[in-house]
Amino acid sequence: MYERVPHVRVEPVGTLWAAFSPASGETLLLNDASAAVLEVLGHGPATPDAVAAALAGDSGASAADWASVLDHCWPSLIRGGLVRQR
Amino acid sequence: MAGSCASGDDSEPRAVIAGTDGRVPTFVEVSTEAVRAALAGDGLWLDLGAAVVRVRSDAPALPPQLQVAYGCHPFVGAGAWADLHIHLARPSGARRWLRPQVIFRCDGAQPFEPFPADTALPLLEWGGNWLIGQRLNDLLLLHAGAVERDGRVLLLPATPGSGKSTLTAALSLSGWRLLSDEFGAFDPAAQVFRAVLKPVALKNASIAVIREFSPAAALGPEFPKTRKGTVAHLAAGPDSVLRRHEPAVPGAIVLPQWRAGSPTRLEPLEPETAFSALAFNAFNYKLLGAVGFDAAVHLAQHCPAFRLTYSDIHEAIGTLAALWDDTALSPAT
Repeated sequence: MYERVPHVRVEPVGTLWAAFSPASGETLLLNDASAAVLEVLGHGPATPDAVAAALAGDSGASAADWASVLDHCWPSLIRGGLVRQR
Repeated sequence: MAGSCASGDDSEPRAVIAGTDGRVPTFVEVSTEAVRAALAGDGLWLDLGAAVVRVRSDAPALPPQLQVAYGCHPFVGAGAWADLHIHLARPSGARRWLRPQVIFRCDGAQPFEPFPADTALPLLEWGGNWLIGQRLNDLLLLHAGAVERDGRVLLLPATPGSGKSTLTAALSLSGWRLLSDEFGAFDPAAQVFRAVLKPVALKNASIAVIREFSPAAALGPEFPKTRKGTVAHLAAGPDSVLRRHEPAVPGAIVLPQWRAGSPTRLEPLEPETAFSALAFNAFNYKLLGAVGFDAAVHLAQHCPAFRLTYSDIHEAIGTLAALWDDTALSPAT
């Protein structure tokens, strides 16, 4: 189960998203998929499968496809202090 | 330099050394001996706009160097408040005669190795920039040149070899108001830029470029063999000095890139690239935390951004002037 770190800021900047973590002090530029993870986790903690399912429901792509994409997103989100395990 | 410094600063509230007509004289209007005496006494209060720096020194080389580099700044021999306190001192002992040096001190600390005594001004400027980058944390200090026209700031973020200072200097000699060649000082609360008005530090080939661009420019002596090669300082013009307390709103971001033989090209820049150039290249972005993030996002979202590649400084200035006249960049009415 993962949760969004409290008070994380996410703002659109051009074709990317700028995100700031007050926990780590880090700023990251995110792609749409990583920003979408933060948006889903903004509604409450969730498992990776639940996040993939939520995004699949929004986009029309399959949950399996989303899970594969998100596999690449989780490590940088965690390293950057934007998401943490609960 | 366009214009002269004959007219001092009527609005200066802190002065105790005033001209015969009551206004505060500028550095070029007082004698070198007066500058030397002030530096050796309570010090000189250099009002840069966003900050006041008190300078004390017994370095013999500094007074005439200061008079050139800060020619149009008001000569203030005592002030009510200074944000930063700098003491440039000659070391004690026999070394001061064998190999004259000058030491930079602030608040009792000596953060750097001594410089040769005849390079007091480069040490003051270099150390002063370091100190400003450490202390003025009510502002987001972007590493960028900043000039203003029509109330809007053109920001020139620095990348190595970008020609930022050369372009900033040339713009300041072409009708743009200089705010700083080193600090894009953004006030996050008011969402305006403030001046940190010091001389433009030109390095190596840039010195000849500016001498050729404007033979009358108020360029000080050349200091060879500094850490950054040969350095010379261009004094801020009278209009920039008189208006140094006047804020200005963000206008546009231009990443300059000097490239030998290149035609002048101005191309749109993605906001995310502009954001990176601002945030990841600022002096105190990390220290400001969320405030710095919000400020950098605001600038990247609201300022059109461009990449300027050039080799001809005259063409580059003309291109930027045309950009400024573009109605798409005019402030909303």
